[in-house]
Amino acid sequence: MTTLLPNVRTFAANVIPKEEFAVPGHRACTGCAEILAVRLALKGFGRDTIISMATGCMEIVSSPLPTTDWTLPWIHVAFENCAAVASGVESALKILRKKGKIPDKDVHVVAIAGDGGTMDIGLQSLSGALERYHKFTYICLDNEAYMNTGIQRSSGTPFGAMTTTSPPGKNSIGQSTWKKDMPKIAVAHNIPYVATACPSYPFDFLEKIRKAKMVDGPSYIHVLSVCPTGWRTPTDLSIRYGRLAVQTGVFPLYEVEDGKYRLTYNAEPLRPITEYLKGQGRFRHLTPDSIATIQKRITTDWEALKALSDSSAKAI
Amino acid sequence: MVQLSINGKKVTAEEGEALLKVARREGFVIPTLCYHELLGSSGRCRLCVVEVNDAGKKRVVASCLYPAKENIEVFTDSDEVRLVRRTVLELLLARNPSAELIQHLAKQHGVTEVRYTPDQDKGKCILCNLCVRCCKDIVGVSALGMSGKGPMKKVGPPFDEPSETCIGCGACVVICPTGHIAMEEEKGVRTVWQKKFELAACPKCKRYHLPLFQLEWISKTRNIPVEELMVCEDCR
Repeated sequence: MTTLLPNVRTFAANVIPKEEFAVPGHRACTGCAEILAVRLALKGFGRDTIISMATGCMEIVSSPLPTTDWTLPWIHVAFENCAAVASGVESALKILRKKGKIPDKDVHVVAIAGDGGTMDIGLQSLSGALERYHKFTYICLDNEAYMNTGIQRSSGTPFGAMTTTSPPGKNSIGQSTWKKDMPKIAVAHNIPYVATACPSYPFDFLEKIRKAKMVDGPSYIHVLSVCPTGWRTPTDLSIRYGRLAVQTGVFPLYEVEDGKYRLTYNAEPLRPITEYLKGQGRFRHLTPDSIATIQKRITTDWEALKALSDSSAKAI
Repeated sequence: MVQLSINGKKVTAEEGEALLKVARREGFVIPTLCYHELLGSSGRCRLCVVEVNDAGKKRVVASCLYPAKENIEVFTDSDEVRLVRRTVLELLLARNPSAELIQHLAKQHGVTEVRYTPDQDKGKCILCNLCVRCCKDIVGVSALGMSGKGPMKKVGPPFDEPSETCIGCGACVVICPTGHIAMEEEKGVRTVWQKKFELAACPKCKRYHLPLFQLEWISKTRNIPVEELMVCEDCR
């Protein structure tokens, strides 16, 4: 059995790489956890990396002309073809290396997109790239709405959340549908590695990046990134809300290696969902009834995931 | 400052700086397992070999230990280097057939066959010494060490007994390049290096977070009351 890493932090923080690839000077909002996720991910991937990035918060804040936040080769592409460009880059590298036109070194290709760029607009190109089995890593930075255009709902928005296009009122509860289970969609492509991660658990995140880099084929990492602007949370509590999301079971941390599920953080006993919902402006209007509905759904999902993880553990 | 060339490219470096550091700064890829930017070089894994031409005298050296000198020529990917690197990987693969990272590197460098009988008892440990140095220099408890000689050499707490000084922080688990060190948590007990740690339960949310022994140690060395540390960081 491999190790559970979420609870090592006191001294292990000293040994993670010091070199920065997403350097200071970007325009991310105060308290943005998404830029933390990018920073950690790039530390994990290291210097020999090419990034293809869809339009989204991270693209907007990191590249206001004429400045840039990236010290790595970085391509900005449209919402819908982030994975397609990454797969093209990977194929080009392969053939150029074969022809001897570039040095024979291992360059990893990473595609980064937000939840809208992954779950709504870029889904078909992602599906194609995963199916063609390109050796690249896709990172979805999920902040649960189209934040940079002004908080419009996406299919990653959770049930009951307020966004500007799903306003709560007399006849509406806010977002009326449940969040799309994107990691499961990635698992359904039978790819070697799928994981969920959160920058609030940095060692767990880095370990998953390390694994994703090593697999021979596509890998998908779904990262929950707290957005104080869109979630209406205090800017100093981003890390805490990430931890609460994991500990209440809203966003369980797990990985799927060749179809085998494994929980990397056992959140039991689950914290009550109210701890996560309270303090977030986007859930302020929820009634005890709807909170109970959400709690029921979260518990069912958690039990199902645990059952999957247990049955995979037995199969090994 | 000295001038040298790496794969034909002219670079400048501090005199005495490790070649590995210089080459990596200039973007050349040299694989290594036992080098860490904080802990420095130890020259144990021998994977970072490069060929050095020092005024006509050619030899293959470990780049993490070889100092930068004026006018030397360094080749990171010559035939000689590849041969040595492949042999090193073959030996490592024979020692640790189950280590995923070594399998990955071996595949990358075209090692398909192993001429030696694989060891079964070494786990994934390559004796890189990183955990020992990390425990001593970063954590400051020196709970780990090397014991035995030759093929019997291994890493672990003294006499293979649960260490008295280990605080169960897990830094060795994170720094281990191959994932040899296992740490498990079950029902409020953390097990690492055969030592069982009782985990502290937060008085507010009743969840386990860090080992009690570690909290007491932090409290003693940093002068923070234990009661303050007992509360987990989510309830603080």
